[in-house]
Amino acid sequence: MPIEQISGCIACKACIESCPTDVIQLDKRTNKAVIAYPEDCQICHLCRLNCPVGAITISPDKTIPVMVSWR
Amino acid sequence: MQDNIELSRRQFIGVAGGVIGASALASIPLGAETIENPSDTQASDFTIENQHTDVLVIGGGMAGLFCAVKAHDAGAKVMLVSKGRVGSSGLTPFAKGIFCYDKATSEVSIDEFVAQVSESAIQTNNPVFTRQLALHSYDRVQELKQWGFFDSALCNTSFMRPINERNIPVSERIMITHLLKDKGRVVGASGFSLNEKKIIHFHSKSVVLCTGSGGFKPSGFPVCDLSHDGTIMAYKAGAKVTGKEWNDGHPGSAENSGSCYDNWRGQIEEKPGLTGVQVNHHLGVDSNYQAYTQGAPVTMGPGSAPNQAGTSNVTYPQGPYTPTAFRETDKPKPPPQESGILSMFRSKGHDGPPGMGGEQVGGSTAGMAIHKSEGLVPIDEAGLSTLPGLYAAGDALGSYMSGGIYTQIGSSLAGSAVQGAISGEAAAKASLALEIDAVSQASLEQIEHQILAPMLRKKGYSPAWVTQVLQGIMIPNFVLYVKKESLLSAAMAYISELRDHHVPMLMADDLHKLRLAHETENMIITAEMKLKASIMRKESRCSHYRLDYPDIDYENWQAWINIYQDQDGSMQFEKQAFDAWPNFA
Ligand SMILES: Cc1cc2nc3c(=O)[nH]c(=O)nc-3n(C[C@H](O)[C@H](O)[C@H](O)COP(=O)(O)OP(=O)(O)OC[C@H]3O[C@@H](n4cnc5c(N)ncnc54)[C@H](O)[C@@H]3O)c2cc1C
Repeated sequence: MPIEQISGCIACKACIESCPTDVIQLDKRTNKAVIAYPEDCQICHLCRLNCPVGAITISPDKTIPVMVSWR
Repeated sequence: MQDNIELSRRQFIGVAGGVIGASALASIPLGAETIENPSDTQASDFTIENQHTDVLVIGGGMAGLFCAVKAHDAGAKVMLVSKGRVGSSGLTPFAKGIFCYDKATSEVSIDEFVAQVSESAIQTNNPVFTRQLALHSYDRVQELKQWGFFDSALCNTSFMRPINERNIPVSERIMITHLLKDKGRVVGASGFSLNEKKIIHFHSKSVVLCTGSGGFKPSGFPVCDLSHDGTIMAYKAGAKVTGKEWNDGHPGSAENSGSCYDNWRGQIEEKPGLTGVQVNHHLGVDSNYQAYTQGAPVTMGPGSAPNQAGTSNVTYPQGPYTPTAFRETDKPKPPPQESGILSMFRSKGHDGPPGMGGEQVGGSTAGMAIHKSEGLVPIDEAGLSTLPGLYAAGDALGSYMSGGIYTQIGSSLAGSAVQGAISGEAAAKASLALEIDAVSQASLEQIEHQILAPMLRKKGYSPAWVTQVLQGIMIPNFVLYVKKESLLSAAMAYISELRDHHVPMLMADDLHKLRLAHETENMIITAEMKLKASIMRKESRCSHYRLDYPDIDYENWQAWINIYQDQDGSMQFEKQAFDAWPNFA
């Protein structure tokens, strides 16, 4: 998993706004940030760095194997 | 010899087919079949909003920031709209070294700097933009200092300071997809919100595209939010674009190659610093060539001799050419720098430049060219495009500030600041005293229909699957980086299938996927541009390498390639001499 977990969200939306690839959405029911599209996470860590309460955990693994030009 | 190194068309289909199969199957079994759209969205679910301004700035990176500020200061009413957050989208948040030419301390004159860049770039640079970078970088850096850019690793706060001081309205999380045109002039742009079901038409007197570059959503380089949207909407509106044969050659790490953060060794957490004149010739396709001829693992380095004995018994051409003055193996190592970005790379935890440690893989930036080489064709030094009313700046402008190869660390960020400021001021001045007619309701409705089409389709293809197929076709080393006609043409056969058959059936069931659908279409058009421009440029130079034309052709190729759409909607290509500017389209 790239972005793995949001735990202790205070609903400030900083992660939603600072994610360039639109991975995180606001759950309208709970008014909390949820990981909606983990497959589109580029693992840049902008969400984690913008979170004021350190709620976000990220791992370096990609959910889908990535296509590289050589290996 | 040639026979040995050329794969037949049939073999290509086998290889690429395998790749596509593997990656597609990983997430979507039987992806090639159309799927049904679970959403029952109607066009009437969307609200329509109209906004009016003088200068519309699209893009919230370094170029967009300076463009909005300087357009405002030149007396125009300005709006800034961006797909992501200002200073937290595009490439800008990840760049940490900014070039600053300080004439008081520099040992090199501006003339010498421009001459050195031209020598390294083998004349592919436009010296007007190279000079402009050096002339203006100092002033832009001073402004960034005042705004607090150098005091934080994150740049949203410092970027918003001058914008808020001027009360410039900002709309974030809006994906612009179309340019508005009236009587041949660009008079605004349209797009949709990523937050709510809303289409917005921005009516303006001029538009500046600060939309950055793009790629094929590759691994390990934070460019996955960009898909050359600005370039493609401008191309569709009739502007000329350029630079598609060049390639950024950043490698990625084999370990966790999908992680931008780890590839760049946490560089994003560092504060920015300055770079001074040090012209080089780097990050073209050397390592791709080395991997192609000898196999992996590859050690990176400009000037490393690529044609050594490998496992293959085929004799290959010498590989990408580095001008003598810039071969690092011939020169003593520069003294260690105690400050700025170079010291940061050497600090504990970095172990060398980011993205270049351990075993490497290729394609980290696949689909992106050298910064500033690709984008809209300028007709003047302010970034006015071949369409009246439409400007571009930064990575969205094919200014050839550095040419078809990287020539100066830090110049990409500084170049976006410099060009943003100049284009903003020019767009503002051109808008004063200009009266614009309203765009017809019929054209707005047509655009609304095109924006929503993927959401209204009941059956079709998911953008994720089409993107994976595209990656399987375009990213292999033997297509994108080490080029030859047979493989470029074979890849083009696949791409034309995606263009003609799959693009019209791209489907989305929510706003996120609507964004992906439009991005996927833009990437497919970009792929066509890259393949056809690469076929046309029958020589090798800088970051464009042709195995079947391995030498520089000074006689026929002192020229850039411009790309435009003809009346029938097909893609056309023309040469433009290095020393000439085009006119309005
Ligand atoms: C990891 C990394 C390291 C780098 N290091 C350096 C360095 O040390 N020094 C250096 O000089 N350069 C470096 N660069 C390059 C540099 O970051 C870029 O050249 C520069 O930041 C480009 O700025 P820009 O404003 O032109 O475009 P970008 O910063 O890419 O901004 C583009 C903007 O356009 C918006 N946008 C795109 N499409 C749309 C659309 N359809 N609708 C609305 N908005 C849209 C995006 O949301 C974004 O806000 C690096 C880049 C990366 C990724």
